[in-house]
Amino acid sequence: MDFEEKENMPQPQILSLDDDFSLIKSFIDGDESAFGELVKRHKEKVRNIIYLTLSNTNAIDDIAQEVFITVFKNLKSFRFESQFTTWLYRITINKCKDHLRKTKIRKIFLPLNDDEEYNVLSSINENTDIKQIVRNAIASLPDKLRIPIMLKDLEGFSYQEIADTMNCEIGTIKSRIFRGRETLKNILKPIEKELML
Amino acid sequence: MRRFNKDKELLSAYLDGELSSAEKSYIEEKIKSSLELQKELEDVKKLKELTNSSYDKIPESQYFETRLFANLNSKNTKKYNIKKWLPITSLTLVTLGLMLILKFNPNLINDIIDQQKSNLAGFYKENLQPLLYAADLTNEDIFNFAVYKELPLDAANKQILKLGNDSAGTEFFEIKNSGGVSKSNNLKSFVTALDLNDSEKEMMDSIISSYSDQLSGLVLVNDKNSVAINPNIWNTRKVILADILAFAKKHAGQNYIKILPKQVAEIDNNSIQKFVADSRSIKPNQYIFFTPDSVFEDNFVFDVKEFKGRVDELKEKLTALNENRNSLNEFKINFDSTYENHKKNVDKTMRYKIFINKDQIKVNLPDIAVNIPKINLPDFDSIASIIEEATRNMNVVVPPNVPVVVGKNNFNYNYNTVKPRQNKKSEVNLDSLIQRNNVENELKNLKQNKLPDNQLKNNSGAKLNDSLLMHQNEELKREMDNLRKELQKFRNEFSQPKQDESGQSKKSNQNLRNSDVKEI
Repeated sequence: MDFEEKENMPQPQILSLDDDFSLIKSFIDGDESAFGELVKRHKEKVRNIIYLTLSNTNAIDDIAQEVFITVFKNLKSFRFESQFTTWLYRITINKCKDHLRKTKIRKIFLPLNDDEEYNVLSSINENTDIKQIVRNAIASLPDKLRIPIMLKDLEGFSYQEIADTMNCEIGTIKSRIFRGRETLKNILKPIEKELML
Repeated sequence: MRRFNKDKELLSAYLDGELSSAEKSYIEEKIKSSLELQKELEDVKKLKELTNSSYDKIPESQYFETRLFANLNSKNTKKYNIKKWLPITSLTLVTLGLMLILKFNPNLINDIIDQQKSNLAGFYKENLQPLLYAADLTNEDIFNFAVYKELPLDAANKQILKLGNDSAGTEFFEIKNSGGVSKSNNLKSFVTALDLNDSEKEMMDSIISSYSDQLSGLVLVNDKNSVAINPNIWNTRKVILADILAFAKKHAGQNYIKILPKQVAEIDNNSIQKFVADSRSIKPNQYIFFTPDSVFEDNFVFDVKEFKGRVDELKEKLTALNENRNSLNEFKINFDSTYENHKKNVDKTMRYKIFINKDQIKVNLPDIAVNIPKINLPDFDSIASIIEEATRNMNVVVPPNVPVVVGKNNFNYNYNTVKPRQNKKSEVNLDSLIQRNNVENELKNLKQNKLPDNQLKNNSGAKLNDSLLMHQNEELKREMDNLRKELQKFRNEFSQPKQDESGQSKKSNQNLRNSDVKEI
């Protein structure tokens, strides 16, 4: 890579061999193994986001596969204007949302089942795992409140990263996280003592 | 409260390390001074920990990359592309194919529609049988058809087919419930009015019955509730009437001229015979089909001989059971919801105007729709009322079917041996007619003299004799004397029918006495 090429780079970045951008460039230049490296580097994070977003483990790998197939198809048009991870996580969240939408549509056509009627605390008994109760409570939150909380508390995203990933304003994320937590507290209030809140 | 919520929101962001330094200083000050915020801070901290600790790490996916690259390879293959483009490609191909086919066969769709139509027509044409055969037409029925344009559609005369022309001259037919009203004895009245002798009557009967077969092929029905009417039926009716009139003119002479108006009486006998021949030679295969779905005209060849052959064959086989014939006789058109479609489609079936109510279906046939062969016959439409008028006073007596015992008196009825039958065919018996009229006249006279009913009953015999001597000729007086007892019985048995008929009889008595009795 000569000096002139470095001058023409769209965004001056501190490049290193293991940097995402350099891997993308290598891929654009025809090195398909660079894509493999990107997958290896980010697959667990992507899988984890899917797991936290969907609250179930059944479809994680299928959706993660779809995420990386989309990345593979569109990587050559990557514009280097934001971090690769922001783009990757946005694709991931969108795939999760698609999946959730399809699941909801499918539920419309399924017969109503009383067992599936969701009540976070109704199924509590002495053997019930506290973690399961909390997971159920979080799962009962609407997507727009749940996903920012998960990305913040479990993945350690900053508000800005969450805003970029979810394509909205940082103030919105701040508000949603607060509202999500308030809702969660209200859901868990009846078992406050057990949770030692 | 709103301020407190704003502080709580800041607190949440504070714990996430997302506040600016100014906001951080502000909230820290607030926390120090507010127990509620301190509690809130603890709660949110615990909630964050709880959230964090509730999710376990998911196990690593062992063959993630392997699967991914396998997926990528398979999706890169041509198969994937074909699958993606398959619906659009096939749709395009089908469209192009159809365009080509229609370019070289522009009438394809019309042909298909015609084919479907003919299939449907075939469905309704199936198993068509002559209805009039089922209705077991009598000469009386054919005569009524010729004069009054009404044909019974079933043996019990519950439904009739009526033909006609509306004020605009458009042919129509209607099928309606006759409501139990049947014109009986019209032919007999007509024949009586013409004063035909026995052999002439027989000839008249044979002329009329010769049209039975011809008529039977003109109205066909089947079990699909469809009716096929040959347009030639309008002409056939005229021809039958013309034939009857021609015969009447030839044989009845003066009586015919008395009955019928001049213009009808002047019909050329030879030309009528020509019309008859013309009518028989025309055998159009076009029928008007009236079905539950639509009204349409179509060609249909009905082989009368073949049908008769089949029926004869069936008759032989089923003589004992006689069921087949019964089922034929029981044809009935339902005026129910079957034909409701027509009401909805009235606007669509512009070529026909259909009127339906619960007792009647009327179909108007504009000229364009019906190819009725033209035969130049005079308009006989007014003749029905003329014949009716002329024959109205010809009161027909229905004598009981009894053997006449020839003794010293000619009128010695033995009523006790055989019970009278109401449905027996009518016959004119002038003698009995005169007798009855005379008796009724006496009764009338007695009533005019204001005799009480019981006295009338007790003394009727004597009084009748006296009055007969005053009013009737000698022969009748003798006969009445001999008949007194029998008439008493007759009156007893037929008291009800007599009462019904008395009104009519009174009117006609004078006419009869003036004309017929004199001859006697």
